[in-house]
Amino acid sequence: MTLPAHRPGAALSFSAIVKHFDGAQALAGASLTVPRGTVHGLVGQNGAGKSTLIKLLAGLHQADDGQIEIDGVEHRTLTPHLVETLGIHFIHQDRLLVPTFTVGEALFLGREPRIAGTPFLDRRLMQRRAADILDDYFGIRIPNSALIRDLSTAERQIVQITRALLDQPKVLVFDEPTAALVRREADILFRLIRRLRDEGVTILYVSHYLNEIEALCDAVTVLRNGRDVATLPLAQTSASEIAGLMIARDIGEMFPKRDVVPGHDILKVHGLQLSGKYHDVSFSLRRGEVLGLTGLLGSGAKDVLRTLFGLDQADGGTIEIDGQPARRLDPVRAAQRELALVPEDRRRNGVALDMTVGENLTLSSLKQFTRFGFLETARERGEADRLIARLEIKTAGRDALVRTLSGGNQQKVAIAKWLSRHSQIYLLDEPTVGVDIGSKVEIYRLIGDLAERGAGVIVLSSDLTELVGITDRILVLFRGRVIRAFASAETTPEAVLAASTGSSEVLRHVG
Amino acid sequence: MAVPASGTARPSSTILQAAYGGILRYPLLVALAAVIVLFSLASPVFLTAANLQSILVNNVTLLVIVTIAMTFAVAVGGIDLSVGTAIDFASFAFVSLVLAGQPVGVAALAGLASGALVGAFNAVLISLIGISPFLATLGTLFIGRSLQQILTNGGNPVYLPPAGVPEAFRFLGRGTLAGIPVPLVIAGALILVATLVFARTRFGRVAIAIGIQPDVVRYSGVASRAHVAVTFILVGLIAAVAGLILTATVTVYIPSSGNAFLLNAIGATFIGTTLSPLGRPNIPGTVLGVLLLGIVANGLLLTGLNFYWQQVGTGTLIFAVLALSFARRRHAKA
Amino acid sequence: MSVELDLTPLSPLGQEATPAGPALGGQIAALALRAGSLIAFAVIVAVFAITAPYFLSVGNIGNVVGQSAIPGVLAVGLTIVLIAGGSNVVTGGIDLSLAANMGLSAAVYATLAQAGYGDGTAVAAALLTGGIIGAVNAFAVVVAGIVPLLATLAVMNVVAGIELVLTQNTVIPATTPLLSALSSSGPLGIPVLGLVLVVFTLIVGAIVQFTPTGLRLYAVGEFPEAGRAAGLPVRRLTAGAFVASGLCGGFAGILSVSNLSGSTTGSGEMLLPVVVTALLGAVFSRRLVPTIGGTLLSTLFVGILVNGFQLLNISSTLVNGVQGILILLVVSATTLLRKKEA
Repeated sequence: MTLPAHRPGAALSFSAIVKHFDGAQALAGASLTVPRGTVHGLVGQNGAGKSTLIKLLAGLHQADDGQIEIDGVEHRTLTPHLVETLGIHFIHQDRLLVPTFTVGEALFLGREPRIAGTPFLDRRLMQRRAADILDDYFGIRIPNSALIRDLSTAERQIVQITRALLDQPKVLVFDEPTAALVRREADILFRLIRRLRDEGVTILYVSHYLNEIEALCDAVTVLRNGRDVATLPLAQTSASEIAGLMIARDIGEMFPKRDVVPGHDILKVHGLQLSGKYHDVSFSLRRGEVLGLTGLLGSGAKDVLRTLFGLDQADGGTIEIDGQPARRLDPVRAAQRELALVPEDRRRNGVALDMTVGENLTLSSLKQFTRFGFLETARERGEADRLIARLEIKTAGRDALVRTLSGGNQQKVAIAKWLSRHSQIYLLDEPTVGVDIGSKVEIYRLIGDLAERGAGVIVLSSDLTELVGITDRILVLFRGRVIRAFASAETTPEAVLAASTGSSEVLRHVG
Repeated sequence: MAVPASGTARPSSTILQAAYGGILRYPLLVALAAVIVLFSLASPVFLTAANLQSILVNNVTLLVIVTIAMTFAVAVGGIDLSVGTAIDFASFAFVSLVLAGQPVGVAALAGLASGALVGAFNAVLISLIGISPFLATLGTLFIGRSLQQILTNGGNPVYLPPAGVPEAFRFLGRGTLAGIPVPLVIAGALILVATLVFARTRFGRVAIAIGIQPDVVRYSGVASRAHVAVTFILVGLIAAVAGLILTATVTVYIPSSGNAFLLNAIGATFIGTTLSPLGRPNIPGTVLGVLLLGIVANGLLLTGLNFYWQQVGTGTLIFAVLALSFARRRHAKA
Repeated sequence: MSVELDLTPLSPLGQEATPAGPALGGQIAALALRAGSLIAFAVIVAVFAITAPYFLSVGNIGNVVGQSAIPGVLAVGLTIVLIAGGSNVVTGGIDLSLAANMGLSAAVYATLAQAGYGDGTAVAAALLTGGIIGAVNAFAVVVAGIVPLLATLAVMNVVAGIELVLTQNTVIPATTPLLSALSSSGPLGIPVLGLVLVVFTLIVGAIVQFTPTGLRLYAVGEFPEAGRAAGLPVRRLTAGAFVASGLCGGFAGILSVSNLSGSTTGSGEMLLPVVVTALLGAVFSRRLVPTIGGTLLSTLFVGILVNGFQLLNISSTLVNGVQGILILLVVSATTLLRKKEA
């Protein structure tokens, strides 16, 4: 493999970056150096600090400590505007394009060409240049009249990348760019990235897909627990070594030991299907069991959880709760059938930030504290206080707004609101994202506690160490299907990671 | 008296700070007090019992009922532009049936049902189809206008001949209970019940939660759409009460006259909402908002200012109060 | 056992099936909605033409356009705010002060004309009045951060009050050369007001639909984050939209003085019909967004309904009902469409 000649020196250099959010440490002295004109990979499990690092670079947050150098110049405070003038552009997961614009309008918004000598937009020129650029870089054609909202996710992403290219960037940061791309489109993207590198653009490439990193990058930095644990040239490493580095080994004692004999099946899913999301998903969950669910973005794992709680309707298959079929579930019926969901987007769906801790804690069980429609406030308050004490929720009191709580304590509220409803099946979606280490352990303990009391728990997590540590079994979804099942006691995070990235090569090395 | 040296320079500034903090915290009460002081200085008549009763009867009673209805709509994160339609329909059914010789009680029930029907129409549009409350109730308002034109042969008022006004009807509009005007008694009862609903019932709690963060309510397994539907029916029903009282007072139904309350009801609701400590729709705030509007309207009249300054005064007041409260929010965030 | 290393990432499903599937369905449905409303428009015109022969005469069509001038100018002003404020009426773009603005501007114009000032002064004062009201709205929304619905509601109250103070709730008659010219008939007997409406919408349409500024207004309204990401001055654009809307109110005020030979009270009645007209306009655009052209069509549509009903001796107040039903139908259709796409 011949590396292209590139100018020496670093385009980006982070050293010893520290960043806290709500008391939780997101970065604990991470360093990263990206040489000019290279494709540099950045990997790590969820919560390792990747996205925090990217946000610091984008000027969206400021580091608590450490140095950021861009093109050899140290910058104490970065703003989004400054970053852009320095020639750094980001391809985000959420695409900032106006849905009712045509491709030409979306590409040229803010730098619209005018018909010479008039104040009017040169729509024809916009369309022609848009078509030319898309054809040149990606070899694709999008009709001039197509609106952004009519495009596929991949096409939108291509438009966004093209927007960045129009600024002739020096550094391009890709944040999980291929999660939504089909194979053909990803091929196009890879070709483009190599071409840009050959033209001298520096590329920072964040991805979960180790095989992509292996195929595309010149070097890779692995983050773990907010630190960089290694930076390796790809010529001297392999996907399996990277996988090994991503997974921490020193926190085994975080996971409480449980001694539960699982009871009878409380949830049975057979042949569940939702077209475009997942197919033929079958499994069962027993009382006292903690079942892990994992898969990359778009694997369908999250959609299975949504379907179980009735947020989406399956096209086919059956769900049985406690031996009784559950048809046409919606969240109200799901809750009546003793299901509980702790959603991933805690601040939007899990807790009402501008309501009090007490109000949140009884929101889903309010009927129990109601007589003839009237709230029995004394009992309600008692229950709130009991839950605050039992889960050790750190708050000024039940009348404090949930907004004032730390992420970990907000999450405890999101879980606790189901406890007084005596839910029997808990669906936890990424329960420890954005949660400090202390609260994490408490949440693990709580999960174990629920299982010991005979509930069934499904944990969806992309933190595989956690998943292996706290579950009894793990199902891995890939491309909408359950492709592997593991007994947690007999597997390793590496093996689960290999299965979820679809990398059979890693599997051979580790497994 | 040992005052720490460092403290001597401060008292005035801390008092100012405390005052400023107080204004920011309870701006509605402060505004109300200021307005009352101002007008009692400006006019000797203002603080007399007769005038205060006149404020309550003429400026407050009906508006407070309509505003309570609006508060429910705003509580679930919506708005109801068709409260006037519910008032009109209730009024029309009430007058027509009394005119047709039906007992006042039956006619009143039919009036309430008509208002609830308007609410139910909104509920279908909002909860079933998913149209935003603003647009749904705007459509209802327009359809309601035309329906009234059709029902009244092009907009003719329906009068109750003075001889034909039943006693119960007259009592509802002009009667007194223990010396208190009946409409005021009804408004007072509604204030109490609505306060209780928001403070002490599951329904009120869920409504507020829907208004604050609807997704959380849905994700908590609570039937939020059904709650919104019931709320809009309730809005129509409460507005219908105002319609009955209005009709009983003036003994005539004038098509599309209910709309006169709309903008003040929205204004008072949002004054009460944005100025409450938690920024939530609430009945005490709503009542204070209506009182504020009523007192300013009455006071401006008493101070000898031209009648037309009333609207400028109340409008400026609403504007100032809103600006203050949004400034307060920024202050709280900072 | 040798395993082929699959180096490419896979889509969630690995299906290369047309991702345009649902979007295409959405496009067709949107097309149907738009075609449907145009066909409905045509059918109504045809029905009127057949049942009331006078309907299609040049004189009558001219009347319709002339009578649409005032609501048309107001609806265009509101459309600018809808574009720059986004489709959520409660949190986004709405200007409830427009009709009151027209009333006050008309009163200012008529008062000055009556006091003997020339047309130039009166026009400038009326436009200034509208512009100031727009600026107050802009300040309330952009600087004070009050949601537009409440801010413009409060401003509406103040403005309507000032109009009452100024006019003492009476009609202020006014006749000036400009007013006579505006209320006369032009070529083919088409009222000058009608021509004014056409020229006005052409100019505003050119700015909003064909200049970079117009494009940016759409970006700011639909997706402020995208606007910010593209480096647009979001707040300035929003403020500008409110000022533009205020100027439209002032302009409509001048037109209304000419139409009624003076300023009259009760301009507030026009508010909600104008809101509905502007909201309905979105169905006439390919992207289902508010456009100046769509608003003009929608205004004429309402004008034709009123006119046709008058010719057929049906109470023109029933137009309200038709508008109400239309807006509910249109909004239901678009809501259900979006649900399908999501």
